[in-house]
Order: sequence, then C-alpha cells, then structure tokens
Amino acid sequence: MRKFLQTISLLFFTAFFVFATYKLPDWFPADIYLRLDPLLGLNAVFAAREIIGRALWALITIGATLVIGRFFCAYVCPMGASIDFLDFLFFRKKKRLGLKSEAVLRKTKLFLLIIFVSAALIGLSLAFLMDPMALLTRFYTFFIYPLVITLINLFLDLLRPLFQALGWITLSHLHYPQPVYYMSAITLLIFGGIITLNLLTPRFWCRYLCPLGALLSLISPLGLFKRRVNEDCNECLKCQKACAMGAVPDNPRETLFPECIQCRTCAKVCPQEAISFSASFSHSAGGEYLYTNFSRRGFLYSLTGGLAVGFLATQTPFALRQSKHQLIRPPGAIPETEFLRTCIRCGECMKSCLTNTLQPCLWESGFSGLWTPKLDLRLAPCEQNCNVCGKVCPTQAIRSLSLDEKTHAKIGTAILRKEMCLVWAQNKLCLICDEICPYNAIVFRPVEGYRRPFVIASKCNGCGFCEQRCPVRGESAIVVVTNGEIRLKEGSYIKEAKKLELEFKPDPGDDKFILEESGFKVEEKKEGKKSVPKEEKPQPKKPKGFL
Amino acid sequence: MDQHDRMITRRRFLKTAAAGVALGLSGSSLFSEAKEEYDLVAISGEPVAATRKAIEAMGGISRFVKKGQRVVLKPNMSFARTSDFGATTHPLVVATVAQACLEVGAKQILVLDHTLQRAELCLERTGIREACKNIPGVHVLTLQDRKFFREIKIPQGKVLERVEIMKEILDGQVLINLPVAKSHSATGVSLGIKGLMGLIWDRESFHTQYNINQALADLATVIKPQLTILDATRALASGGPGGPGEVKKPNLIIAGVDPVAVDSYGVSVVPWYGQNFKGRQVEHLLMAHQRGLGKIDIDQLKILMEKV
Repeated sequence: MRKFLQTISLLFFTAFFVFATYKLPDWFPADIYLRLDPLLGLNAVFAAREIIGRALWALITIGATLVIGRFFCAYVCPMGASIDFLDFLFFRKKKRLGLKSEAVLRKTKLFLLIIFVSAALIGLSLAFLMDPMALLTRFYTFFIYPLVITLINLFLDLLRPLFQALGWITLSHLHYPQPVYYMSAITLLIFGGIITLNLLTPRFWCRYLCPLGALLSLISPLGLFKRRVNEDCNECLKCQKACAMGAVPDNPRETLFPECIQCRTCAKVCPQEAISFSASFSHSAGGEYLYTNFSRRGFLYSLTGGLAVGFLATQTPFALRQSKHQLIRPPGAIPETEFLRTCIRCGECMKSCLTNTLQPCLWESGFSGLWTPKLDLRLAPCEQNCNVCGKVCPTQAIRSLSLDEKTHAKIGTAILRKEMCLVWAQNKLCLICDEICPYNAIVFRPVEGYRRPFVIASKCNGCGFCEQRCPVRGESAIVVVTNGEIRLKEGSYIKEAKKLELEFKPDPGDDKFILEESGFKVEEKKEGKKSVPKEEKPQPKKPKGFL
Repeated sequence: MDQHDRMITRRRFLKTAAAGVALGLSGSSLFSEAKEEYDLVAISGEPVAATRKAIEAMGGISRFVKKGQRVVLKPNMSFARTSDFGATTHPLVVATVAQACLEVGAKQILVLDHTLQRAELCLERTGIREACKNIPGVHVLTLQDRKFFREIKIPQGKVLERVEIMKEILDGQVLINLPVAKSHSATGVSLGIKGLMGLIWDRESFHTQYNINQALADLATVIKPQLTILDATRALASGGPGGPGEVKKPNLIIAGVDPVAVDSYGVSVVPWYGQNFKGRQVEHLLMAHQRGLGKIDIDQLKILMEKV
C-alpha cells in the first residue's frame, strides 16, 4: 500500500515535471509539489517578507500533518520515494556500516532547519540547498531531463529503419531538441551523494539531514494516528531493526514520534502483531513527543550560524551591485534584491524554457545567486511567443504574465560591439541582426560610405535573437546588457513601457535604408563607385530639443 | 537527383495528355487549357480558389504527380509567425496543393522545411500543421537534425561544391515548391529559389562564407522542383524575410515549371521597399538565368492571367 502510494506520488511528480513546458495551460499547477512544500514557502515568505499567494498551498501540507502526522515523508515525498527505490536497487543486500552517535546526528536536520530559517529572516534564501522538493526538481531538470531526451533520441535512431520500413512517417522523422545545462555534473554529484549515504543507514537523508522532515517533525506528534504497542510485545526488537527512520528506541513499546513517518513497516514485521496505528485523540501512546534533549546550546549555535551565513552571503560587493548586476534575468523577474530572496532555485523555469536559454548561475552573482536562472542569449534567444517560465514559478519570483505583458517586460538592451562587428570593423556586408530582430530594433544608416547597424534602444526588449545569430565566432558582436531592463514587483509592464516611451511592436521601421544592399541591382546606381551611398549626416534639421 | 529521367517522363506524359487520354480530371474544361501550355499562370483570388485554378491551368496536378508517387511539398514555414505577417506560406495554399496531390493518388505527401526558428512554434504559429491535419497521408514535419540530411555534390557549383540536403528529396520523389513572396534583406527577394535554402542543413555558410547569390544559383542546379507555386496572396514588401514589415495584398497565386520565370514574375507583382523591380535586377535570379536554369524576361513568356 505504502509503496503503491509512493510510486503514484513519484509518477505524479514526474508527470507534473513533464507538463512544465511551453503551452502549459494557465490553470495547470505544474509546480504543485513545490507549492505544497512548507519549507520552501516559509523560506520565501520570510526572506521576501511578504505573503506569497502560491506559498499558501503549503498550508494544505501543514494541515494534513497536524491531523495525520508525518505521513508526507513516507507516502508523498518524491525524494523519499527515489531514495527508497534506489536503496532497494543498490543497497538492499549490502551490509550497512551503521552509525554510533544516532541521537546527536538526528538533531542535525533541526540545526539545519534553524540555520535556513534564520538565514531567511536576514533575507537570504538558503533552504533550496537542501530542500528535497527543490533538490529533486533540480536533479530532474539538470540531469534526468537531458538524459532522457538523449536516450529517447538514441532509441528513435535505433528504431528508425524499422519505422521507415513500416512507413510510420512521423516516427521516422521524430527527433527531440537536446536540452543542455550548466551545472549538470554538480547536481548529479549532490544527488548521488545523498543516495550513497544510504550505505550508512537506510534513509540517511531523511533521518539526519532533511530540513523539510525536521519542520514536519515539529508538528507531526500532534497528529491523530500514532504507533501503539500492546501487551503482546515480547521485546524481540525486530521492529527496531526494520525501522528505516530509527524511530523505535531501545524500549520498543515506546516511539520517537517526531521521527515516525507512519510507514507501518514495524507493524508488518512484528511477529506478535502487537503494533497498531490507530487514530486517537488521547496521548496515551508512550514515547518522545518533542526533541526533549534538544540543547539550548545547539539551538543558539545554529541560530547564530544561520544569521552569520545570512550576513556573509548578503553583505558582499555583489549586494551593492544588485541594482547594476550583469545577469539577464527572465522576463517578469521581480527586482533583483527581491528576486534573490524569493527564488527557491527549483530549476522549474529552466526546465520549462522553450528555447533552453535559461541556465543556472554558479557564482556570477555571489553565493546568494547560486542556481538562479539567467539567460544565456548566445546559446538561445528568448522566444516572444512563450511565457512559460513565469507560469511555473512556485514563488512567483518570475511573475506569471500574459504574452503581451511579457513582451513589454524588457529584460535588457542590445549593444553593438563595433570593434567586433563585421560591418563596423571590416566593412563586410552582414545584416543578420537586422534580419532576425522581431521588433525592428536594428536599423542601418550610412556611415563613412557603408550602411552600418544601429540599435534603437526604445524598440529593443532584449530578446537576444541578434546576440544568438550574430555570425562572429565566439562572443557575439551584439550583446544584450541589463541596461534598461524593467523589473516590477507589481503592476503592468505595458503601462511602465508606455511611460518610458518604449515600443515593442511589429513595425516596418527604417527598412527603406537597406534597399541598396538588399540584393537588388539598382540601375541608377550601377555606374561604378557612385553606388556607395552618400553619408547622411545624422544631424536633425534643428538642434536637439527644439521643435 | 535523377532529374533527367523525370523530365522525359513528364514530357511523354504531356504528349499523352495532349493526345486526349482522359485521366479522370475533375472539370473537363481545364483540359482544353492544359493543351494550350502556358509558361506561367497567375491567378488572382482567394488562396484556395486561386491555388486550385492555378493547378488546373498548369494542366492539373496529375501532370506532375502520378498515382502511387511520393510527394514533397516545400512551403516556407521557417518563422513562427501567423500568416498575416507574410513571412510564411499561407496554410490554405499548402492544404489545397496537398489535397490535390491526394486526389490523384499520391502515396505519401510530406510537407517539409528546416525551420529557422524553433520548429514546434513554427508548425503551430504558421497554421500549416493545423490546415493539413485532416488530410490523410499528409505529414507536416520539420527536419532539424543533421541525420535527416545527406551530402551531395554540385557538379556545376561555382562557390558551392557540395551541400547537405534533405534525404527525402533525394529519393526520387516529386518536389513541389510552395514559397511565399517576401523581401529579403540579403537577396532582395525570397521566392522559390531562395526558398530552396529550407531544404539544406547548413544555411549559415550561405550568409557568412559564400556569396549568397552565387550559392543560391549553385543550389538551384541540383534542386529542381517539378512545379513551383508561389503564394503571393500576401507579399511582405519590406522587413523580410522574418518580418515584421509592410504586407501588401496582391492576392495572386503564380505557378510554373520554370523556377526562374515564376520568381521573376513574383518580383514584378509588388514594389519592394517602395520601388519597382524586374527579375533581372535580382542578383540570384539573374545568375540562375545566366546558368540556363530558366527564363527571366517575363514579357516573352506565355502567361495566363485570370481572376477567380
């Protein structure tokens, strides 16, 4: 029963993950597992210092835990399911190394929780490091998803001759674009490490490290369902050995209730059938209800630790630069300081990104920016018909915007690096940036006998098609910088863009300028060198500022 | 490509047709027109009606597609834009041609392009996939991986000696080019011959490595569509190839066997960038003409102009 529910939950998690992609319907909560995670919610609400709508979903989990107990870890948590499944695959028959100082280790997760919460209070989002939902989503995004696409393509390639022979046209031409991510290896190492820890004890992660488990364990002993042992118990201690969470103390009639995840394995293995999990309001069952031995010193240490980490990570030169940061953030990302506080680094936006331009940061904006999404526009542009990154953001660090709003959420401005541009530096004929620009923000004007590209900043919304397509090898000769980006915590981007006199709409623009070099042989200008257009002085007829 | 053989077959077929062998064409009045062979037909009207009429006037699709044959249609669906931008072939034009091929018993109809923008979006936004959805045997596909291409030599190539083109058009299939009429920032216009670039793998080198006009003429020596139906129902008169730009509405469907002639006529239908041009003024068309790939002076052609 438990395995069944666990499998279902993991499948649901995977399905929701798969659905987080372009064309996601507005009503579909693809990020539901992340929304339900109370630790991520708490972290974002504390760090951002405001109530976040989607984080309120976590109240469901809190409520259910208050009623039932810490069932989440055993039945719902996809991380727990993955750990159990991989444990079964790899370590079933291995002799576990075991641990001595169990009780001390068990408190680690609480210390971590305190560190994360206190860091959040200072304004540092840190829980993502170890929150199981964020961790697993990241692992799925940066490792599983690209791997699966590779395998599917490999499989399709292998079967292609068969499909062709059978005349299955669509299948014989099917090929999925391969997503690629930075930091895939790091993410794999972390996940691999968590699984390997099972060599020591089963569910090592859940027992000792998981801060979400720690949070739930604080309230779970209030739940209705509890492990109860009747008089038939002969203290054979089989239950103690079988308990993956180490929730059975040396006196097996008692229970460490914060640790018990109600997997009911003990009831199954008990030869006396002395164990039951019945609902009752009375606190008659024996055992530990709270971490009674949780030391004041430990609490203070971890609190101080969290505050110190928060201080160290937020008070850096990066913090001062946050208004002048260099990273291109997704359209709809709230102002940088708030963004860093609210983003829980789940990687869902990067998974869903249609063009694969969203990539995780390593140290580009300091420790506080770890794994946050940035656009790598040399790799791929931001597609103007897609707004999925905001839709799947569980804390709305990237706001969910309509397509029109998203078009006006300017993420930066393209600038030409004239020393690299083929036209500016080498007088070559190249028009690719102009050709590809969806907003006609690039125009050609004659300078020194040649038509040369210029960017009209008020028409550029930073989508990066030009940067990606620029034929210069290596770094692009036209790059999008954060200049002019619009980051709004609330309110309309369209209004803001209008206020700033920006216009991102399809418009013929100055295309008449490119006539002479557009491949037509213009007869009047055929006579030799006269075809070079005269330099048009960009000076207006009247001095600037006069009408 | 086994071009030569097919030309003979077509000629032989036309003789047979002229001899009056009925082939079950719908609407026998077309037949009389088929006898009187036009170099070009330019039909004015709504996309579906004009396309149908253009096919009929060219002698019916059965002149090009025979029962059991496999057909590749090459529309322009390279940009994720709706058809009103004029950057892509009108979906109804594609569907009408596909339907016609189906009616004469084509075994399989592939609608292919190697898109410039994200394939999924192109298929969706251009409306071409949707328009062909309910026509049996028609598959709208984008080939976005190198494995679907094969390298061939270009014996007459001046700048391009070899090129990787879609395997699907190498295997003796019928190729019908369905370009859209639009301006192009590097080649002046993008019509049928420029549209062939959607059938090759490495487009970038055309822009960066070679003289694009010469390379296009090279390409046209090896990819020879049996029929070109130019969708000039809308013409993107500036801002091409991707738009946005000025969209004019010539409401024309231009069809012909000679790819240079079709394109040359296409140049004449609207002013590009606000100026009138002739086919001779478009460098890649002139080069293709000079290399014997087709006629460029449209005033010497026999053209059927009609309104439906």
